[in-house]
Amino acid sequence: MSERRIKSIFIATGSIFLFLFIITPIFWMIVISFSKDITFLTGGVYQFSLSNYITIITSKSLHMIDYLKNSLVVASITSPIVLIISSFSAYAITRINFAGRRIIPLLVLSISIFPQISIVGYLYRWMGNLGWINSYVALVLPYLAWTSPLALWILLSYFSQIPKELDSAALIDGAKRPKILFRIILPLASPAVLSGLLLVFIACFNEFLFALMLTSDYGAQTVSVGISLFQGLHGEIPWGELMAASFFVTFPLILLTFLFQKFIIEGLTTGAIKG
Amino acid sequence: MKIKCHRRTIIAYIFVSPLVLIIFLFILVPILGTCINSFFQDIPYLPKKFVGMRNYLILIKNPDFWDALKFTIFFTLASVSLETILGISFALLLKERFPGRGILRTMLLIPWAIPTVISARIWQIIYNYNYGLLNYILQYLKISDKINWLGTPQSAFWALVLADVWKTTPFMALILLTGLQAIPEDIYKQAKVDGARFIKRFFFITLPLLRPALIVALIFRTADSLRIFDLVYVLTGGGPAGATRTISVLGFQYYTSADFGMGATVSFITFLIVFGFSLLYIKLWGVRKL
Amino acid sequence: MKKTACSVWVREIKKIFSTSKGKILVLDNINLEIKSGELFIILGPSGCGKTTLLNIIAGLEEPTEGEIFFGDKVVFSSQKHIFLEPFERDVAMVFQSYALYPHMTVYQNMAFPLKNLKFKREEIKKQVIKIAQMLRIETLLERKPTELSGGQKQRVAIGRALVRTPKVLLMDEPLSNLDAQLRAEMRVELKLLIKDLGITTIYVTHDQIEAMTLGDRIAILKEGVLQQIGDPNELFYHPKNIFVAGFIGTPSMNFLSAEIIRDKLPIKNRDITIGIRPQDIEIRPPNKGIINVSVQLVEKTGDKYIVYVDYKKQKIVIETSNFSGEREISLFWPKEKTHFFNKKGERIESAKINSFHQIRD
Repeated sequence: MSERRIKSIFIATGSIFLFLFIITPIFWMIVISFSKDITFLTGGVYQFSLSNYITIITSKSLHMIDYLKNSLVVASITSPIVLIISSFSAYAITRINFAGRRIIPLLVLSISIFPQISIVGYLYRWMGNLGWINSYVALVLPYLAWTSPLALWILLSYFSQIPKELDSAALIDGAKRPKILFRIILPLASPAVLSGLLLVFIACFNEFLFALMLTSDYGAQTVSVGISLFQGLHGEIPWGELMAASFFVTFPLILLTFLFQKFIIEGLTTGAIKG
Repeated sequence: MKIKCHRRTIIAYIFVSPLVLIIFLFILVPILGTCINSFFQDIPYLPKKFVGMRNYLILIKNPDFWDALKFTIFFTLASVSLETILGISFALLLKERFPGRGILRTMLLIPWAIPTVISARIWQIIYNYNYGLLNYILQYLKISDKINWLGTPQSAFWALVLADVWKTTPFMALILLTGLQAIPEDIYKQAKVDGARFIKRFFFITLPLLRPALIVALIFRTADSLRIFDLVYVLTGGGPAGATRTISVLGFQYYTSADFGMGATVSFITFLIVFGFSLLYIKLWGVRKL
Repeated sequence: MKKTACSVWVREIKKIFSTSKGKILVLDNINLEIKSGELFIILGPSGCGKTTLLNIIAGLEEPTEGEIFFGDKVVFSSQKHIFLEPFERDVAMVFQSYALYPHMTVYQNMAFPLKNLKFKREEIKKQVIKIAQMLRIETLLERKPTELSGGQKQRVAIGRALVRTPKVLLMDEPLSNLDAQLRAEMRVELKLLIKDLGITTIYVTHDQIEAMTLGDRIAILKEGVLQQIGDPNELFYHPKNIFVAGFIGTPSMNFLSAEIIRDKLPIKNRDITIGIRPQDIEIRPPNKGIINVSVQLVEKTGDKYIVYVDYKKQKIVIETSNFSGEREISLFWPKEKTHFFNKKGERIESAKINSFHQIRD
């Protein structure tokens, strides 16, 4: 068989495999979320039902809405702040010749390798002493630090492509540095800023260990924690409701990803390739 | 040269200070703190006491620690190898033009976008002994009897690996795809003209040119696997009976059983291991200056 | 809103760069006195430090030593630790790449400096339109830079610079990115505009034709060292050294090594270099001139001939309006048109040279 033919076969089988590989867990999550009873595989009959969804939305004791709210709040506070902080740093690093110029990016990069467990123990004690356990602050502050490598790398890579002569022109035109950053650099770097916001937002939803240890109840617990603690009234895991909750959270995230996939991919790949 | 310390430099330091401060306070200080705490005995009802290396010595004699370490390393080896092989395969696939390629490429983002915890739960129900999809398929296709995936150490290991591979391969594939696309098409044309078949082209052109992206991806993925927590905690809880405890999970369990000192010790060792591995990689493969 | 132009005095400016390979002296004791309203050119090959010098005058870079005055005002002094930011110096600059803000319209680009000065909106509008009309770009005000041609972008850059009526106007090779014809047109326009406005202008270029046609005075810079300052005539007819002599004029001056036979100079100055411009050489039949040469190549450009000859392995270029194409000819040039340079490359006044000298190979 010619190489071409072999190639086509591989492509076909490969695509099907990839498709099934990715889709199967998702598909299964959806199937179970809409089923009345999960025993349909072992002899029962599959019954389509919305009851799981209704339960998780309305049941107060499950606190799904609270978890969602908390995740949204924390993610929405963290993203813009970390982007702003990182913009200032990225600006200085790419445009001003100062001593820390090379060290700081390396330092920030190395953080993305640190194990969370090595950080969270001490944070727990510290937050505990401050009385901040189970508050938004307890999550936002560590998240700012934890997601900063992501934001910084995206911005660094984009900022370094903006010609420095624009800064010179603006300085001569009488703008001060912060003004240059906000009026000239950031508007020109808006794709990177958008990527950064999205990636940080999604990362906040995804984070688990910090949230697990630094919160104690639905007042501040995020979706990740909620899903991990999910238990039925009698201790057995209510799979239907759990999957409904999962899909409930997953669906908007996937939608967000699809809508902004261009930015997300840009952000992820420049971040990684540059590193 | 004395005027060097003038406006520009001061502004630069002001600009980077929020970031540096936040990182210092919420990452560097905690790690330092964990390190220090590892030299203390810190359990309930007793005052905190400095004990030097005692925690470390206890840990070295504790088989749980070595089991966790072994498990973590094997898990990392298995997971990263599979991810890489699959990742390269998917990347090669997606490099080609064919109908539906765009959709597939977008779908790559799905596992990445889902919180790890949720994916762990999904796999949990798939692996479920009685109601799980996997056992159902095995029985339906008459391949084998029901397997207690999460109930035996051997199968739990592979269950975790599969779940991890599912979550992380797409990301790997994406990075590698970008790396592949950076290789000029002309080189392949030249190679084809020179008579190189696919395997040859792959090993002599693709892999070498992909090396930088591959190395970076490997460093991050290895570090991620070594420090893995979320997936393991939710999917197996470290069970059955601690058989799938990774070092992060071990540290966590010490913390939650209020043995703070030991928790700190395990946590700090985890840090050293992950950091050490990364430095090793960099040394071995000489990452070029940024 | 017309401000009086001012003079610029650059005194003993030195700039040293510390790199990983050691210290590099980029500018060495630069002294310039630029008169108010003058169009002053800094001319030199790439890498000679001219852009650094301009940036230093602008306040974008800091010199290692020296002082700079705008009129009576000290704008930089290393001894007194004074350093004014660009904006405080009231300079404007036009960059080689124009450096227009890509996300703003032409109007916004030109309004930006005035906004920073906290002008009122109506005043800004009036001023921007006025300058835009002067540069004939008033129809482009709502466009973005990516929609403009090279020449248009350049006008906008100039407009943005002029809108503040600065004390000093700095230009960094503003015409280099334009094609040849546009460049020639813009040269004329630029000169008229600057003269009309009467702003002190410092203009950096590597193109000696540009320098000679535009400048009131020119400073030639080579590797951070000033070679000569003067008006175009001085530079052309009385170059102070071989570098200047060879740099100014197209085709460039011919250089031949020679020896003084009978002289009133000390013995060690016997070896000299002679310089003659291609336009000053006369072509004569063989043996009727100073040296006999063979023709290698003839180029005809319009009505002029450029003749390339070989003399004992040295190349000589002649520019003439008449050439009948012989292979063997002789060359003649008058002593008044001859330039003499000593071993170090410095100019020797021809009066000091005896009439007898011989060309050496």
